[in-house]
Amino acid sequence: MRRGRTLIRTFVAAAMLAGVAGAGAGPALAQTAPPTTAPTTAPNPTAESVNEDLLFKQAPTIGGRISIPDQKAANLIQPQGREWRGFHETWMPWIGAAAILGMVVLLALFYFTRGRIRLEHSEESGRKILRFNGFERFTHWMTATCFIILALSGLNYIFGKRLLMPVIGPDAFATLSQWAKYAHVYLAWPFMLGIIFMFVVWLKDNIPNRIDVAWIKAGGGIIGDKHPHAERFNAGQKVVFWMVAGFGAAMSVTGLVMLFPFAATDINGMQVMQGIHSLIGVAFIAAILAHIYIGSLGMEGAYDAMGSGKVDLAWARVHHDLWVEKEQARTASGPQLRAHQAPAE
Amino acid sequence: MKAFAVAVICAVAIGIAASYVLSTSQRYAWQAFSTSSARVSHPGTNLVGPRWTGDVKGPHDEVAGETTAPKRS
Repeated sequence: MRRGRTLIRTFVAAAMLAGVAGAGAGPALAQTAPPTTAPTTAPNPTAESVNEDLLFKQAPTIGGRISIPDQKAANLIQPQGREWRGFHETWMPWIGAAAILGMVVLLALFYFTRGRIRLEHSEESGRKILRFNGFERFTHWMTATCFIILALSGLNYIFGKRLLMPVIGPDAFATLSQWAKYAHVYLAWPFMLGIIFMFVVWLKDNIPNRIDVAWIKAGGGIIGDKHPHAERFNAGQKVVFWMVAGFGAAMSVTGLVMLFPFAATDINGMQVMQGIHSLIGVAFIAAILAHIYIGSLGMEGAYDAMGSGKVDLAWARVHHDLWVEKEQARTASGPQLRAHQAPAE
Repeated sequence: MKAFAVAVICAVAIGIAASYVLSTSQRYAWQAFSTSSARVSHPGTNLVGPRWTGDVKGPHDEVAGETTAPKRS
């Protein structure tokens, strides 16, 4: 009897719940069903909401509001940054590798086909003439040593995480990169000073003239066996001088812009500067590789000019005949040997 | 060789001098960007503390197939 009453109560309760649920679901279904008479010009909130394209038509960047002092941190999206990152991470390693490895391959081909340019002996062989004084050698080597450190630490920015980190591990790479960054930032200053010194000291000897045109037409004595006339610096050396002056100035300006962030330009300008800095940097390294080759392995007797400062008179007569004549006429006593200097044998 | 040695010594000396001069115009991030309401790191540490090793693994970082200890319920 009690069970029967319980069943009846259960049915009654279920029927009431079903009725309530049906009454509640009716309006809900009516709301979700597509209105048959709704106007077609009803606003679409999604279509009219603010999107990225619309914001970029109003301003080049998308920013927010922040409470920390550095208002630059409010910048949320700067589209040029994606392009810069794409260039730095995708194109730059390939451009750098092509420039530097390409130059190494070219120099190797030149060495194995042309061979080392040998010293031509004459009756003047063994006698020395001063080619670069102490200050000239000092400024050359200060710039050169800084350049090598700057080049290696600069290449670490491009290739380090790809080539070095898998070899030495992330911890050693992090420590090395930190010190490389210090070296890059601080040795840039003696490098810039050296560029200024070299420009001032050697400018007067590097003004292009007709002799350089004839030197270039004759192939510079490297391609053939005949040595064209040259003053203190031949056309090839003048190209190196102006390349170092131009690239050095460009690297200095772009480097300073990055060294003092936001002092001269915004984030987009700094990214452009970084791109220029890295492109000129790899071209600079490739060109200096050729300079190092011809000043050491490529030409016998050339290193002495920057090593001891004195070169063999026979070498100087072959490669810089007009300069030797001028120097001898200036001293009017033959080669620039002082009283205490004995001719090298 | 003498010119080379002097050049290297001068380059290092100028570099060290540059580091001292430049340091006068620099401030640590915790100095430059901290406010009365926002604290940015501590000198010598970072926001996640000095013992952070970078090897923190979350529940979604488990390698597929790697067995984990059963949870006690």
